[in-house]
Amino acid sequence: MSGEGKYITAQKIEDYKRQKEHILEMGGAEAIEKRHKKGQLSARERIDYFFDPGTFTEIGLWVKHRTTAFGMDKREVPAEGIVTGFGKVNGRYVVAGAEDYTAMVGTFGEYHGKKLSYALDFAKNKGWPFVTMNDSAGARLHEGMDTLESYGWTFKSQIMASGIVPQISLLMGPCLGGQAYHPVMMDFVIQTRNTGFMGIAGPAFVKTQTGEEISLEELSGWKSHAIKSGQTHIVAEDDQDCLDKCKELLSFFPSSNNEKPPRIEAKDSPERESPELDTIIPDEPAKPYNMYDVVKSVVDEGHFLEIFKYYAANAICGFARMNGMPVGIVSNQPMAKAGALDIDACDKLARFIRFCDLFSIPLVSLTDCPGYLIGSQQEWAGILRHGAKLLYAWAGATVPLVSVIIRKSYAGAHYGMLDKSIGADFVFAWPTAQVTIVGAETAASVIFAREIKEAKNPKEVRARRIREFSEAYENPYRAAERGYIDAIITPRDTRKYISRALGVLEKKTVATPWKKFSNINL
Amino acid sequence: MEEIMESPLPGKIVSVNVAVGDVVEEGMVVCTIEAMKMENPILSLVNGSVKELTVTPGVNVKTGDRIAVIEY
Repeated sequence: MSGEGKYITAQKIEDYKRQKEHILEMGGAEAIEKRHKKGQLSARERIDYFFDPGTFTEIGLWVKHRTTAFGMDKREVPAEGIVTGFGKVNGRYVVAGAEDYTAMVGTFGEYHGKKLSYALDFAKNKGWPFVTMNDSAGARLHEGMDTLESYGWTFKSQIMASGIVPQISLLMGPCLGGQAYHPVMMDFVIQTRNTGFMGIAGPAFVKTQTGEEISLEELSGWKSHAIKSGQTHIVAEDDQDCLDKCKELLSFFPSSNNEKPPRIEAKDSPERESPELDTIIPDEPAKPYNMYDVVKSVVDEGHFLEIFKYYAANAICGFARMNGMPVGIVSNQPMAKAGALDIDACDKLARFIRFCDLFSIPLVSLTDCPGYLIGSQQEWAGILRHGAKLLYAWAGATVPLVSVIIRKSYAGAHYGMLDKSIGADFVFAWPTAQVTIVGAETAASVIFAREIKEAKNPKEVRARRIREFSEAYENPYRAAERGYIDAIITPRDTRKYISRALGVLEKKTVATPWKKFSNINL
Repeated sequence: MEEIMESPLPGKIVSVNVAVGDVVEEGMVVCTIEAMKMENPILSLVNGSVKELTVTPGVNVKTGDRIAVIEY
């Protein structure tokens, strides 16, 4: 009897191994080879590359769909077209879901969605970041309402996890249809240049419904989202680059909103001077310079991971470290659209600020901004309500907030780019700063309108009044006299002042009366 | 192929640095728009030649107004 029992146990284990092996083969060697030829990895290869060796634990390998309609009863979909589980990335736990295009072209069915939303809930409950590797041909239409409902489970799960754990979508393959709300609602989307596609509808659907003829690349490729729509944060060259960039992004984040961001040992002295900054501002205030040079001079070892590099280039945001501590940098680019805050720039910066605030990442603003962009085009598109998002983001932020006014800080740009009134803990300004409510020309034409009009030599009077207003107000001293600026600093000392400010703000806490939310201008 | 250059912001054209037929390189300043207290250099995004030029110094442009067409 005992011999028979042993035989059965061994057989059970053999059967288990054989079945597991079969599922792990995904869509089969041929299908995987096809992907390799396109330069793409399989879902399991992506998982292997992403996680520290030997740390990945798979959850839900055995999950199967239960649909019988339209031949689905005979259709085998290994692991339901999505590999889910947890493991370590650079020593810290991360939960991931990798869609498998070789398994029924990664279609999103009821149990595919159930696995994804379960993994999201798991990440939220554990307090670990969540990463999706999107690669799916779309909804599994055979499953009808069950598929549609499972989209909703996924959306609800990720929304409930939003603000608790960081969420990153790696758009390494297609993600089209309603499903595309999944990546777009994550905190960050990294899209691969040649294989990542995202959209509310693919070209065929667009053509039948609207008559518009457009290619998949043009409609849904990296350019459409990284440049035009502002929905892709980072562009990657290929699968490996996408996974590498995700790991780097994660290195700036705490695992959850219950933790502080991970500090690394700094090799760059927090007191380091940047003499090159003393000569960076052109003598003519209307001339641009490259703000990236300022950002790189200030942060640890010049290392800056830019977010939304190609979208709204008049604004700059991204992650860096100061004295080893992750910080979010927010700035303007005088070389693009005067560095003004237009609608796209406001949306870009507001969402970035909100993310940093959710995950305890201090924010540093480097300002050279003439104001919100004006004119009919921006007015009618709602610059006021979009600009308001930026104010909500700053005013609601409870992380350390440090502002450095490099040059222009006029009008709305003053609080839009973080001043004391909206919540800055420290405001520093360079001697080149122009901090006032309005430019001298506009001011003179309002205050001295009658005097100029009635003067014998209006041109001369106007020029004199502009000069007078400029000398009196277009500098950092009036604001510093009132304490709106804490210190006027030489440009070379910028890093030193930011480091000291962040140092004393490390334990900053803010108490606010209970409410559900602010009614941000969504 | 053609690259249609449009004004990224409303303002006044203060200088035009190219003429029709000129060869331009990526990053070269095609014209400068004065707006929002700044001189905004408008750069060619491609290597090519100027096929069409629709602005002259002194004119005002709105966002999206055509500035030039670069053939490449």
